[in-house]
Amino acid sequence: MANTVIGSSIVIDGEISGDEDLVIQGTVKGKISVKESLIVDRSGVVEADIETQNVEVSGKVTGNINATDKVELKSDCRVIGDIKAPRILIADGASFKGNVDMDVKEP
Amino acid sequence: MAQSEQTGIIGKGITIRGNLTGGGDLVIEGRVEGQISLKNHLTIERNGHVEAEIRAEELTINGEASGNIDATSMVSISSSAKVAGDIKAPRVVIEDGAVFNGTIQMDVKLPDNI
Repeated sequence: MANTVIGSSIVIDGEISGDEDLVIQGTVKGKISVKESLIVDRSGVVEADIETQNVEVSGKVTGNINATDKVELKSDCRVIGDIKAPRILIADGASFKGNVDMDVKEP
Repeated sequence: MAQSEQTGIIGKGITIRGNLTGGGDLVIEGRVEGQISLKNHLTIERNGHVEAEIRAEELTINGEASGNIDATSMVSISSSAKVAGDIKAPRVVIEDGAVFNGTIQMDVKLPDNI
């Protein structure tokens, strides 16, 4: 139920929050916190800290990602920042710079 | 009217605080606070709630808007809308049932020979 689409020619400088899925094809600077899932499309540029459940990145993200379930970095994406999530998938071809914290409990 | 690309929908569960700029069309069903500056058509849907300075070419309001509006072409306030603020646009339409508080400036240029 991806209801909200930030189109490719839209630029948002500020804070996005909500309990709905979000698709970003444009540019967002600031802070994003959505309840369920965030998709950064191929044309999307995000310079923001992200807090959500699931993240799928095909575009560019600069900022820290904090997901409660899963982060997926698709091929061709560019991500700079720290990722914290229990499940992290990085596809072949993706570029990423930063820390990964899967929050593994030491036995 | 030339077909402009559909550029965005802000769904009803979403809140945006800050500046929103861009070309193309935008539909707001959620909440936006701050500033909106759009090249083409902005629609505020029935459930939409906007507290912002708005600049756009064309603006259709079905929901709630407060803040000043500057449109280069037209502002249309439908019967379900509640609007507070000053409007500057060459064409302004207010339907029966709409609630509006503020001033309207249509920037009418009278012919010189009057």
